Amino acid sequence: MKLPKTKADVKKLLRDFWHGKPHGERRLGDLYADKTGLYKHREWRGVRDTFYYFHMVWLYNYAHMVTDIMQDGGMVNFAKGLWRYRWMGQTYLPVLHWFDRGLEGLRGEALRASAWHYRAMVCVSIKQLMDMFNADAKLHGGAHNDAWQHNIAHKETVWGGVFYPWSDQYTNVPMEMVPFFITCHVNNHTAPHYIDAVQSIGLPGDPCTMCQAEAGLFVQDDIPDYAPFVVTSNEACDGSVASTAIEDWFLDLPLFAMPQPMRFDDPLVQEHCANEIRELWKFVEEQTGVPFNEQLLCEKLERQNALQRFEWEKWDVAAKTPYYPINSVAQALYRVYQTQYGDHDIWHRTDRKISRIMAKCVERKIESFPLTRHRAIAWSCAPLYYSNWTTWAYNCWGLNVVINMDSLMFDMTIRTDNLDDCVLDMARYHEWAPMRRMTVGGMQHIFELWDYMERFRCDMVIMYDQLHCKSMQGVSGLFEDEFRKRDIHAIWIPHALADKRTVSRSEIRRIVNDYMTTVMKEEPLDPSLLEYDDDMGW
Amino acid sequence: MRHTSTRRAARHCPLLRLLRVLLTVAAALYALLFVVFFFDLDGKLLYYVVEPLLCRHYDRMERRNPLDMPYRTDR
Ligand code: SF4
Repeated sequence: MKLPKTKADVKKLLRDFWHGKPHGERRLGDLYADKTGLYKHREWRGVRDTFYYFHMVWLYNYAHMVTDIMQDGGMVNFAKGLWRYRWMGQTYLPVLHWFDRGLEGLRGEALRASAWHYRAMVCVSIKQLMDMFNADAKLHGGAHNDAWQHNIAHKETVWGGVFYPWSDQYTNVPMEMVPFFITCHVNNHTAPHYIDAVQSIGLPGDPCTMCQAEAGLFVQDDIPDYAPFVVTSNEACDGSVASTAIEDWFLDLPLFAMPQPMRFDDPLVQEHCANEIRELWKFVEEQTGVPFNEQLLCEKLERQNALQRFEWEKWDVAAKTPYYPINSVAQALYRVYQTQYGDHDIWHRTDRKISRIMAKCVERKIESFPLTRHRAIAWSCAPLYYSNWTTWAYNCWGLNVVINMDSLMFDMTIRTDNLDDCVLDMARYHEWAPMRRMTVGGMQHIFELWDYMERFRCDMVIMYDQLHCKSMQGVSGLFEDEFRKRDIHAIWIPHALADKRTVSRSEIRRIVNDYMTTVMKEEPLDPSLLEYDDDMGW
Repeated sequence: MRHTSTRRAARHCPLLRLLRVLLTVAAALYALLFVVFFFDLDGKLLYYVVEPLLCRHYDRMERRNPLDMPYRTDR
């Protein structure tokens, strides 16, 4: 650090201390320790925001990680789970680093709004893992306790909403949402372990790494035994069928498979899909002995519809104004988590907070991302091991990914006035699952990109190229043609979803840097972020 | 004169002394937590100590070999 020499230097130093350095002078890359991505010190964001982060993000979340555990089942079960499951030990502890990486560079209302999104995800994750551990026969000497009897296990790609009719007596707990999905984002060291495990029993390396890692959890015997039966599906694509077969083998439980057709626009298919849901309900009735509760279903769906209506408000602000206060990674992860897991109190509490923050930003015309040079839309499946690359992209290049494909999947509410329409809508909702609708749901859905681009006033596309998804099932050439025809700037980002070893995070940054310098001919806002080595980081 | 004796009395009041000790401890704890936060000492401890220890434990764990299980399709 240079010592101030003149009065102006002292003034500047004081101003930077009080308000934090302006974007462009921050040199966030200098904060990283080499290779590990740990911070030499955390970012100084000015007095107000540093202490907000210290109190309301760091202390608040550490404290709530403890109180949530106490509330959801207690320290003993938590400690047993931590000792027993790799994904637990490796994921739970570095959670605050996950916040740090996603919220880098944020100030003011954006910092607050985005951090509340993260807090909600942590809260729901703790609930899920404690629901597992409280019931887990592996942690309780093989006993099938009351909690075990009252859990429903399902694949993370089965929407939690199909279990609403039993939600007053039974808890649905997705098998892989915390052990796989959350794990990848928080600590990318974990998933490769499970990928290697499944390959060690003979699976070739080219199927989707999501399906590989999910199956690997079972190969490693690293899934709790927490429920008497299980529900699976082929969501997002048929890769899940393969992992389900392995899960069925190793779980050895009564299982209901609820496949959804890949091409779902045909109305006859719709009827078929609705019947699948009705069949599932019969299966749950048989297994639990508890009758289907239509009133409860409708109440819960109405609560979920309220979440969707608020999401539409958020989209409106993001699309029509520069005052949207939620950063890209918080938007994407919160949305996918909320829609897939289903209704929970914390989503409503968070949305109320966000609503107040958003109203303030709009009323006072607060631009949370004032150095936006490009409004981008991200399409296809994102790299789970580097979901926060968008935070980097804004800080380094002013590339603001305002919306992404997974946020836009469930663009609907569900009718609750009569059961027939309700089930049809539920079928539609299920068919529009993350990755399903706009990745493998047919060209007309894949190319919805152009409409959303216009709606969100985007001038750039980030095309994720999930290598194990065979570049969105091989449509990259068609996209290239369209990009050329429509004169759209698009950056292709290859990745292997959960496996950081195929395309590293620094490689992703290099690809973006190359495009921004050679094609866009732009200078970085923060040159310290151009190149750094975080390959061994979480 | 009165002021001095009041102050002396206050110094000897056990409640106030306790309060002072508590405030000092709280301030020291707050400062310590801020240092841990600012210098990412939590991250460093987890990265260099806790995670390697836990991983060593997970690597050495006895696990059932699921491949020994027959694949039953009759449930
Ligand atoms: S990333 Fe592609 S292959 Fe993997 S589950 Fe999603 S759609 Fe299927």
